[in-house]
Amino acid sequence: MSEVQVGQKTYRMPPKDGIAVARFITVADIERSARFYEKVFGGRIMTMGNNEGAPGFIQIANTWLIVYFGGGPTPDKPTVTLSVPAAPDSVSSFMNIRVADIHACYELWKGRGAEFLTEPKEKYGETRCYIRDPDGHIIEVGQSKPDFAYG
Amino acid sequence: MAESKSSASPVQVGQKSYEMPPKDGMTIAHFMVVADIERSLRFYETVFGSRILSRGDSKGAPGYLQLANMWLIVNVGGGPTPDKPSTTLSVPADPDSVSTFMNIRVADIQACYKLWKSRGATFITEPKPKYGETRCYIRDPDGYIIEVGQSNLGVTYG
Repeated sequence: MSEVQVGQKTYRMPPKDGIAVARFITVADIERSARFYEKVFGGRIMTMGNNEGAPGFIQIANTWLIVYFGGGPTPDKPTVTLSVPAAPDSVSSFMNIRVADIHACYELWKGRGAEFLTEPKEKYGETRCYIRDPDGHIIEVGQSKPDFAYG
Repeated sequence: MAESKSSASPVQVGQKSYEMPPKDGMTIAHFMVVADIERSLRFYETVFGSRILSRGDSKGAPGYLQLANMWLIVNVGGGPTPDKPSTTLSVPADPDSVSTFMNIRVADIQACYKLWKSRGATFITEPKPKYGETRCYIRDPDGYIIEVGQSNLGVTYG
């Protein structure tokens, strides 16, 4: 079973109709990443992939992570190269985990081996902190303040 | 201003329900630095039928969209903050060097290709067969690639 429901609509991976949205991250070691997301966040490893090009799939909360090695251009993206973060301090896009109790998550996930950049800090509209995953991808952990539906 | 009255957007996995912001547990979103929040909101709304939940505000609240089971959070870039003192956020400096992207798995890639193209999406190529799947990519207004993929029959996770 790997399905998600929004309102009256059910999403599954792979989808039987419509779409299901996942996040792809380039990793150096599929097994290491799968174990990290399993251990820290309770993600469910659907597949570790294989040597012929199938990626690892991890279900985590309402979405799926797809993890695979980098590589050069392919016929469907002839100018694009995938690699683990070359400069982990220069970031454009990241996984953002919105939580109900950031201090509880901070303690629990830290206890499971997550490396946080700092403890949770107060910010406009939210309380926030960041984790680095094994490849240097940053993961935001944020809790919106009560008056902010979308902080 | 940050909207506080958008209708609830629950998501359910098995027996567990997810919403944004979560009342318990966690809900995962995809964050992207964008040059123009409104432009990005319009793009994801027009092309994919995403629902705009918040347009953010001038004090730093980001834009929020819901797309299928995922939420997208878009905001402008910026320098280091106290909670990430060495990290700078910016739109993709080199859109051809990529380490992470949104991956939209679809049931009918030819239909999605035609529909989303007609709504203004820029595809890098038409869908192409690959090991285990058929695949193509979109560039969003900031240069992010978005994978669109359909697993082959018999391949659970292509």
